[in-house]
Amino acid sequence: MEPRTKDFKQEAAKALADATIQKNMQNLYGGFFKARERAADETPGWEAMQDRAREIKAHTIEHLDYYLDKASRNVEKSGGTVFFATNAEDATRYVLDLAISRGVKTIIKSKSMISEEMGLNEKLEEAGMEPVETDLGEYLIQLRDETPYHIIAPAIHLSKDQVSDLLHEKLGGPRYDRAEDLTRLARDHLRTKFIEADMGITGANFLVADTGSLVLVTNEGNGRMCTSMPKIHVAIMGMEKVVPALEDMGIFLRLLIRSATGQRLSSYVTMVNGPRNDDDLDGPEEFHLIIVDNGRSKILADPAMREALYCIRCGACLNACPVYRKVGGHSYGWVYSGPIGAVISPMLTSVPEAKDLPYASSLCGACRESCPVKIDLPRLLIHLRSDLAEGGPHSGKRSRFSSEFVMVKAWRLLVSRPWTLRLGNRLARLFQFPLAKDGKLRKLPPPISGWTRYRTFPMVTTRLFRDRWIRGIQDKTSHE
Amino acid sequence: MSDRETFLAAISGALGNDRIRPPESMDDSTVGFSTPDDVIKRAKSIEKEILIRSEELCNDLEQAAKAAGWIVSSSKTQQDVVDYVSEVAKKIETRLVVKSNHKVIDSVIADPQTFQQNVVIETMNMSGNNTDVERESLRQTAIRAGLGVTGVDYAIAETGSVVLLAGKELSRLVALLPPVHIAVVEKSKILPSLDELFMLRRAEFDNDNLGSYMNIITGPSRSADIEQTLVTGVHGPREVHMVLH
Repeated sequence: MEPRTKDFKQEAAKALADATIQKNMQNLYGGFFKARERAADETPGWEAMQDRAREIKAHTIEHLDYYLDKASRNVEKSGGTVFFATNAEDATRYVLDLAISRGVKTIIKSKSMISEEMGLNEKLEEAGMEPVETDLGEYLIQLRDETPYHIIAPAIHLSKDQVSDLLHEKLGGPRYDRAEDLTRLARDHLRTKFIEADMGITGANFLVADTGSLVLVTNEGNGRMCTSMPKIHVAIMGMEKVVPALEDMGIFLRLLIRSATGQRLSSYVTMVNGPRNDDDLDGPEEFHLIIVDNGRSKILADPAMREALYCIRCGACLNACPVYRKVGGHSYGWVYSGPIGAVISPMLTSVPEAKDLPYASSLCGACRESCPVKIDLPRLLIHLRSDLAEGGPHSGKRSRFSSEFVMVKAWRLLVSRPWTLRLGNRLARLFQFPLAKDGKLRKLPPPISGWTRYRTFPMVTTRLFRDRWIRGIQDKTSHE
Repeated sequence: MSDRETFLAAISGALGNDRIRPPESMDDSTVGFSTPDDVIKRAKSIEKEILIRSEELCNDLEQAAKAAGWIVSSSKTQQDVVDYVSEVAKKIETRLVVKSNHKVIDSVIADPQTFQQNVVIETMNMSGNNTDVERESLRQTAIRAGLGVTGVDYAIAETGSVVLLAGKELSRLVALLPPVHIAVVEKSKILPSLDELFMLRRAEFDNDNLGSYMNIITGPSRSADIEQTLVTGVHGPREVHMVLH
């Protein structure tokens, strides 16, 4: 998918001005956010579970090459085929080659964020195939030719009326108003696709290294359909999804599902070990697993960023984030949104182009509080900001002398000596009058004009603290 | 170099290593992995525990299952199970019922007289030699069926779930395609939590008996993708019954 991360400010402004989006996003706090809080409260030993999961993820990521090697060999042992894709293009080519060689026409898809990274649907369509998203939310946004708004609720920005219009326009037939009827309409349409499809594509929530098991979490049943009905099952996963041992799945499933929707368990947890066995009653004849890097090794290579790969994609940080809840998912301009998106979207695409994303946070820490594996998201955001400001390795700048860097250094020179501070104050007093209006500074000149775009500054004072201190601070008017 | 070697070499490089370095010790103090002996010991103690605690676990399962959207009932005899299935079939006015191969529900087909005249019950199992033709015909049957009846391999008290292992005995489709599912749960198969399930599955893996497919089912198929309004019955069954037996 082509990143549009550099348009963050314009897109955010558009979302803020859109009354429908603002109304639809309101449910997020009372819905998912509160549900997660309740689920965490009612689960005994929640915090110990978080710590354990974090330790396991840290251990796995530190030995990622070892566990991926092990996992892939176990998948092969159970009869599956594994392909390692360094980037989105390699992964896409593998899927296309496979589909063409098997004469595939219709492809049913269960939700997969990585296939969004690849822009897979578009490529399949260009090759003359029909990819059909089967998660209800994904189906709706596919009909609208959009990208997911939220990692677990892709169509959360749409109102019922918009869905009603959309289905009426795209599928024909009578117009329905109730969520039940709209769901049934989509279900009936998708049912025929499930029956006729030649290939099912899914993502992966976890890959267990010890046993080579792929674990999928769904509520609608489309994940079961995609892994049961077609002759070929292709699973595509980001390389960070591997976990070492099957006996730890209980912890990860609890953390993922309770953080995502607040359910004790989602309606379906599906575990796949290769294709069907020869004497199985049903199931796919072929199972292919594509393990994708697509920029993740850049995150891995920076020890300070590495914990971003602990993420299990529950979406809790989105629901907790006061910025995400206002600017919405599309503003972030790529596949991942919210606090985790502000960290990984720049790293997986281009940090210089996505330079506004790490600043799309008040650093309030709500994301860190809600993260099931305790990722220190504010620290990661600050790390990216300082990298950008000081011309670090991710910033794409050749020189460390960015304008911000130079200005902060100059400021330090100015304020760290009494005589320069006094001189600066004199000059500021002198030059501020043309800029002042009603005793306030409303518009500073470039390069510091950004500071007054959304706020007003008081004027530089004539009563210096230094002078008042020397006089024994008799002048009390300022704070009484 | 193969795609695997190139890929893994890049990861080793990103980690600052020149080759794959296995974890120093598998029983690292922070991440403790079970040895096969531990797994066998633990699996045996779980099997004992669930028999001793079966009444308590049954109560917990009932509570959690109701909260998850199951319609829960109890049946003392095989005849009760047959009657229950018959009643549901009548209520939803289906003419085709599919059932799995589980022993616990054998009686459902053993006595077709108890059903209304015009209801057909098909068992999803393979007998013939031309398996591809048979697979296709079973699939068509499951697509047309209005009700699916299964036993379960396990149930989980913590989450109100049933666990179905698909394989040569059990179809993946019988609890998926029909809009109504009845799961008959034997009280001896109720596990306290997900942790016991995965420990037992791990033991089966060590026995080379993991199978190709497992589903943990917790209530009806559902979605809240339209304005976060909960709707049941999307692609999986809209109505699910749990019969404790």
